[in-house]
Amino acid sequence: MRLISLLSLPYLRKHKLRSALTAAGIVLGVSLFVGMHIANRTVLAAFQQTVDRIAGKAQLQVLAGDTGFPEEVLEKVQSHPGVAVAVPVIEAVVATGLAGQGNLLVLGVDMTGDQSLRDYDLEGENEDVVPDPLVFLAQPDSLIVSRRFAERNGFSINSRVPLDTMVGRKQFTVRGVMGGEGLASSYGGSLAVMDIYAAQMVFGRGRMFDRIDIGVKDGYSVEQCQSELEKLLGQGLQVETPSSRGKHFESISAALSFSINITSVFALLIGVFIIYNSFSIAVTQRRAEIGVLRALGATRGQVLALFLGESAMFGLIGSALGLAAGRLMARGLTMFMSTMVVQVYGVNQQPEELAAAPWLMALALGIGVLSSIAGGLLPARAAASVDPVRALQKGKYQVLTAGENRLRRMLAVALLAAALGALAFGESNAAFYASYIVMVLALLLFTPALALWLARALRPLWRLLRPVEGALASDSLIQAPRRTSATVAALMLSLAMAVGFAGVADSSYDGVMKWMRSTLNFDLIVTTSENLAERSFRFPASMAQEIEAVDGVEEAQPVIIGRTMIRGRPAMLVAAPVARVAKRIRVQAVEGDVEQMTRLTAEGKGAIVSDSLARIEGLKLGDMLEIASPSGMVRLPVVGRTVDYTDQRGSVLIDRSVYVRNWKDDVAGIFRVYLKPGASVEAVRQQLIDKFGQHRRLFVMTSGEMIRYIIRITDQWFGLTYMQLAVAVLVAILGIINNLTVSILDRRRELGVLQAVGGLRGQIRRTIWMEALSIGAIGVILGLALGAVMLYYNFAMVRRDIVGLQLEYMFPVRFAALMLPVMLAAAFVASLWPAESAVRTSLVEALEYE
Amino acid sequence: MIELIQVSKSFDGKKNVTALQGIDLQIARGEMTAIIGPSGSGKSTLLNLIGGLDRPTAGEIHIDGQTLSKLSDDDLTRVRRDKIGFIFQFFNLLPSLTCLENVSLPLHLRGWTKAKAHERARELLELVQLDQRLEHLPDELSGGERQRVAIARALSVYPPILLADEPTGNLDTQTGGEILKLIRDVHERMQATVLVVTHDMTVAGSCARTISLRDGRIVEDRRR
Repeated sequence: MRLISLLSLPYLRKHKLRSALTAAGIVLGVSLFVGMHIANRTVLAAFQQTVDRIAGKAQLQVLAGDTGFPEEVLEKVQSHPGVAVAVPVIEAVVATGLAGQGNLLVLGVDMTGDQSLRDYDLEGENEDVVPDPLVFLAQPDSLIVSRRFAERNGFSINSRVPLDTMVGRKQFTVRGVMGGEGLASSYGGSLAVMDIYAAQMVFGRGRMFDRIDIGVKDGYSVEQCQSELEKLLGQGLQVETPSSRGKHFESISAALSFSINITSVFALLIGVFIIYNSFSIAVTQRRAEIGVLRALGATRGQVLALFLGESAMFGLIGSALGLAAGRLMARGLTMFMSTMVVQVYGVNQQPEELAAAPWLMALALGIGVLSSIAGGLLPARAAASVDPVRALQKGKYQVLTAGENRLRRMLAVALLAAALGALAFGESNAAFYASYIVMVLALLLFTPALALWLARALRPLWRLLRPVEGALASDSLIQAPRRTSATVAALMLSLAMAVGFAGVADSSYDGVMKWMRSTLNFDLIVTTSENLAERSFRFPASMAQEIEAVDGVEEAQPVIIGRTMIRGRPAMLVAAPVARVAKRIRVQAVEGDVEQMTRLTAEGKGAIVSDSLARIEGLKLGDMLEIASPSGMVRLPVVGRTVDYTDQRGSVLIDRSVYVRNWKDDVAGIFRVYLKPGASVEAVRQQLIDKFGQHRRLFVMTSGEMIRYIIRITDQWFGLTYMQLAVAVLVAILGIINNLTVSILDRRRELGVLQAVGGLRGQIRRTIWMEALSIGAIGVILGLALGAVMLYYNFAMVRRDIVGLQLEYMFPVRFAALMLPVMLAAAFVASLWPAESAVRTSLVEALEYE
Repeated sequence: MIELIQVSKSFDGKKNVTALQGIDLQIARGEMTAIIGPSGSGKSTLLNLIGGLDRPTAGEIHIDGQTLSKLSDDDLTRVRRDKIGFIFQFFNLLPSLTCLENVSLPLHLRGWTKAKAHERARELLELVQLDQRLEHLPDELSGGERQRVAIARALSVYPPILLADEPTGNLDTQTGGEILKLIRDVHERMQATVLVVTHDMTVAGSCARTISLRDGRIVEDRRR
């Protein structure tokens, strides 16, 4: 500690810019880690909080995915001796039509029994408002709203509230106001309660419930009641505790969490690399100081501890700043993720407080410090092994020796062979990820040799452009491979990371576009909501005939899409008239004969699974699929595997007849509408709106509008990837600035000598610019090459662990073309200040610089 | 011809330090002069000012009729490039360049082709008897050999003025003697004006003129 305050602090004070740039790597890594994890946890906590507050005293809940279940289930549940109270629930998120109020979560409940599970904390009861549930029931337009919602809109008892329902915009009457911090505060306070039978009607549920909330009798354990109810109700319905619903959400959004973790790890990795580079240069520069220390009796251990202490200090300062920046970042990220979770997964939540748990902060701090120490470890070891005699000789300089270079190359070849071996012979995740890491390490070890080769290759070009400066710049790179390769490696790694992300994004877009072109080929689509992931409302299936009766319509295909459970995991169930749909679309089969799979599915003798679900669950043709339905388990063999992007967790296509029979629910979420030849899309759309718009809530979109909508959602999803790209590019730029600044400041004496022996300012400036441009160009070339390799692993990772999607390998050519000028510009800009500093510094000082 | 008129130099820091005060000096073409004096007397500062590495706080310096203080940075560099060769105590060779490349560096800066620059560098390295070490890096040479490379580099453009700051200060007596002989040979062979800053009275004794500095002033100017 004494050594740090005596030697390190003055050094860091003297090199403020360099110190700031070094710490910036850790700040960036930790802030991203903290920001993303807080945002993810906040959204998750908001969802769980909404579930908990709405659940009230309910200990168990009966659910059936998005599809709901018939009313009869309630009687079965109530008949169980362990059930003290069982009340049905319908949940719907509706637009209020009030300016600036957004959506309202409406809970449909049976007021006669519900108050024993949920405390409505009704205000104004002494005024005889809603004292009797029967009064509430007798008036189906009754609504109880939260105090916060009432205050925001200036509502009081008997105020009229407009809500967009399945039967158009309806006026409801406030007949009660809920207070307190329980139910009324859920969903950010945007909550209302209405009678369940009114809810069934206005949200198009027919005779179905979304959920039954249960209070367990005294003397019965929750676990016992749960297991007995599961047996009683059969496998088609899930009996769960409210707290377990958060786990389903985690499972649904697993791809998001994985993506967040990958970004955090890469950001920290780059931070480690920046620390490594800065410390390597610092050790070279401070070799005389180390020599003096060793000559004065410092042990190798003390020198090692000094440099590790310094890196820990950087880690601590960088992490502390990163925590603060991460918390700031988390606010914006939470809003972004919350919207995305609604749009992509259809899971509603309203985050309020940031979930910045102390343990997360402590973990981030620990990771930041450890990353910094890891980055400083090799340079610290190099410092400890400095030979005091050599170090004290002025003018000595460590250059990469031929022997060292050969050793690196041999090690790189060995690692490359190991990576390829692990990839070829290892099936396990451990072998795959080990191969990924080892491959990146091997290519990093090849960097000096490749950078040297490329610098030599660029020399004639530079000489052609500027004979003197071009030669000087190239020679400087060629003659100092260690310095060159450190900067090139940092740039290469971050650019490769960006290419890895961009390639996956490009290929995903390509896949989604192909799928949309082949599948979404209807002329019009009729839906219950603008947001396709929102499935609160449903149409009666009979509406298909009414649509077909419209002039110009040839066919309306009713489709229902809802989340269900496959092998205990959430997946999307798509029920459609398969025979009719198959005539219209071109199925992209991955496995199985298209004609046979559609025939068997249409006959109710099989199900078609998406390629992603098949990969996640290891499903093969002929495997028996068990789908939970209110009538029990529906067993269908897998008859085909197709490319389908309906949902990230995969989807199962069954025939509509199977759905109606087993779910006992003749409703539709959407209608795919095909027009007669020559019919005007706009005219038919208007007719549909005119015919149904007055008494139904519906949206009519063209295929193009639907595709644009999905692209917008995909854009939102890849918003996170773009953020990763931005971080990678930012880190690359930061890396260039850091390394060039450090490298050029480190060469003050050398540049001073150049000027002393006759180098003009312009020559020195241009030499530094050309060096920077060379580093940029070499970094981009190697970065794109490493990116191509990393992309291969990323595609495998997407297939194995993220969404089971088999994406086509696609190098992001446009992105690569964009990166070349961006990185060259960044390198040039990064060199401006160091170049000016080099030519304007006092020559006498520069020549004496050590 | 080098001429200094009332040249002063001070450094701003926590405390203002005056390194040179009102120096008047004339050095004729082809003269070999030693500048001696105790540490801090201003010897190196004087050499840096004459070499155009630094600018005086007051006074004027003329080299072959050109007033250095009136020149832009680039013109000053051109004077340095065309007329002055430097030899430093710590050699200041570029560690990543070979002997041949270090010597040819000033020629590259003048836009010479690689072949022509290397041909001149070879000649000069032969002159300093290092023709067997052309491809060696400075790290691989002894102190005396490094100083020879530095001398060869200083001579690369056949400058009329050679400035040497403690050229033997970092070398043992025997090697120092060899370097001194080499500098004298160059002086005689090229008729160059040589200014040597030194502590070493042997070095000073081999010069035709000795200027003694103390506290930034010339206290003695002796010719033999």
